[in-house]
Amino acid sequence: MKSETNTLINIWTKISTKKKRKGLNSEGKWALLMISPYLLHFIVFIVFTLLASLYFSFSRYDMLSAPEWIGVENYNKLINDPIFWKSLWNTVYFTLLFVPTQTILALILAVALNQQLKGLKLYRFAHFIPVISSWTVVLYVADAIFNPRFGLANDLLVKLGLEPQKWLNDEQLVIPVLVAVAVWKGVGYMMVIFLAGLQNVPEDLYEAAEIEGAGFIGKFRHVTIPLISGTTFLVLVLSTITTFQAFEQIYVMTGNSGDITAAGGPNNASMVLMLYLFQQGFAFLKMGYASAIAWVLFIILFIITLIQVKIQKKWVHYEK
Amino acid sequence: MVLILALLLSACSAETDSEEDGDSSATEITLGFYSSGSADEKMKDLIAQFEKEHPDIKVKTQNAPYQQFFQKLDTQIAGGNEPDVWLSDGVFVLKYAERGAARDLTKWIEKDLNKDDYYGLDFNKGPDGKYWGVPQGIQIGALFYNKDMFDAAGVDYPDDTWTWEDLKEAGAKLTIDTSGKKAGESGFDANTVKQYGLTFFNITEGWMPVLKSYGGGVLGEDLRKSIIDSPENKEAVNYIVDGMERGIFTDPADLQAFQSPMSPFPSQTAAMRIGIYARALAANETGVNYDVTVLPKGPDGKRFSPVIANSWVISNNTSDKKAKAAWEWIKYWVSEDNVQKQWAELGEAVPVKKSVANSDLFLNSGDKPQNKQAFLDSFEFAGTLDVNAVWSEWVKQMGDNLNRAFLNEASVDEALETADKEVQKVQDEFYKK
Repeated sequence: MKSETNTLINIWTKISTKKKRKGLNSEGKWALLMISPYLLHFIVFIVFTLLASLYFSFSRYDMLSAPEWIGVENYNKLINDPIFWKSLWNTVYFTLLFVPTQTILALILAVALNQQLKGLKLYRFAHFIPVISSWTVVLYVADAIFNPRFGLANDLLVKLGLEPQKWLNDEQLVIPVLVAVAVWKGVGYMMVIFLAGLQNVPEDLYEAAEIEGAGFIGKFRHVTIPLISGTTFLVLVLSTITTFQAFEQIYVMTGNSGDITAAGGPNNASMVLMLYLFQQGFAFLKMGYASAIAWVLFIILFIITLIQVKIQKKWVHYEK
Repeated sequence: MVLILALLLSACSAETDSEEDGDSSATEITLGFYSSGSADEKMKDLIAQFEKEHPDIKVKTQNAPYQQFFQKLDTQIAGGNEPDVWLSDGVFVLKYAERGAARDLTKWIEKDLNKDDYYGLDFNKGPDGKYWGVPQGIQIGALFYNKDMFDAAGVDYPDDTWTWEDLKEAGAKLTIDTSGKKAGESGFDANTVKQYGLTFFNITEGWMPVLKSYGGGVLGEDLRKSIIDSPENKEAVNYIVDGMERGIFTDPADLQAFQSPMSPFPSQTAAMRIGIYARALAANETGVNYDVTVLPKGPDGKRFSPVIANSWVISNNTSDKKAKAAWEWIKYWVSEDNVQKQWAELGEAVPVKKSVANSDLFLNSGDKPQNKQAFLDSFEFAGTLDVNAVWSEWVKQMGDNLNRAFLNEASVDEALETADKEVQKVQDEFYKK
């Protein structure tokens, strides 16, 4: 969506600068006509909705009656809302656990599966299955492990002489359990991206490093890591965005039979921003407040991505 | 491009205009309902019958499964294109009413319906005495019990003399762990229960009936003020927490272990449940040998049975002409014996019309439970779930805090004190404006 927007802006600036110079030539008119279906879609479904949600974020709006302008009240309320801060922290906590774990694990798997092994395709396939499965399927498997009554995890703990856990009903454990499942689902995808990156590293560099006397670790540190830094950057950005948008998994795993108001427990320990936004907007009809949350979420993501792009210049190596 | 946009917009508005005025010979109304499976077919069948008897009214239908239906409905109302009449879950009627989306039906009800003929009309009444909906079917709570489990444990079946303490006592004898020990016996492990005495779920089929029969509750008479932090509620919640600690009642973590939190009773993992009428469907499907009786008494002899009156609501935005046609449909639904009978045969809800509910068709239909009379008897001490415009939101606050007490993460006092503050905040925020 973002890249689409960028292209659109590019086209638009080209057209509009041309117009300033010598008016729209026939080519420009054609271009405009050709992209008009998309332009129309863009204006109606993106620009208009963005502006509407900005307006709603300054209103009291319950969907059933007309919005009423209340200025910054929603934002004031947001600042003083402990659940908002808790869900912001939970989102950050989720990201801090998820992004490094998934990235490192994906890299390790990719390096391992980049070797010349027998049955390699089978291993790659096995790691990719959770990626293509729907959340519903993944969650059934997760339940077989973390079910407090029938799950494997508690079986194992009891066999080791330890106390069984409540997993998703434990305020401390709920996010780590969710992260574990999310990593299992997502790691195969990132692994494939890393594999593509690894296969672009020229063989001769490894040979040169070997001649210099580098071992496996040395080659990995001085050849692989710098040469796949572009891929690593992509994986980091993608993972961060997915965690900030984490919704479906938490909604299903912590809710009771699809009851949106039950999700996010226990005691809001797994309430994340997207879930809070949805609950406030669609379950409690506080669309104005939900819009304010959405804008704050947007600003946070925007800043994080900016920072990532800035830092990128320091460590990401692109071949010229 | 602006032209295209303008054209598109005018096309949209033109369409709605022509729909509004319509053909003068027939009124077309849109009817929205949530449903699934056999209920869906029956509803369409009944609508066809209605159209035949009212040739001047055409009915268009819009239906979807429960969750999607309500999500879509709210957006439709926001966009001004909601159905002219729709089926609302009983707990949402005041949500629409107090936000101006539902039409006040008081005058019509007073003119056309004899209130004594129906169950549950008053359950949709706001605190101001206005009627916002007419029940489509009634859900009312009773105590479901598994006869086989009672026989195996040698415990007498529950009856109308039971108090909640009696229930717990019997429940202890019906709770068995994986090594075959019963609750209370030495060596019983509350962590490995394989058969529970009572399964306990959420508000309707969980804490609300207990709280109310102990003399407590959530909101006062005006449905604006929290009455959570009371000695009666403390006693009730202590009663529940004790049952959960001893392994007799399912706690929220136990429920998480089942594919659906509704399943312990129909899957024969629990000997008793608090259940609304519709729960008979699942129990019959799995072939449980069960019956029902009225819910137990509180310590002072007070009883409470939770009621949800799922109701027809007319949109406040629709024209008078369409609203009148919608009213014809509602009248047809509730007052025609034939319609009531056909709907009752599905076994989804207690019929709204008293004469049908008290007839053989309902009471002796042959399906379990045998003692359907218990549901009708329960109307005497029935009440709503303190429903108001912000019901979903305060239920979440209350439920979250109670769950903390149920899972031993907060003391009962602390949980009720926090719930009291949070629930009051929800009320103040909505009603201050």
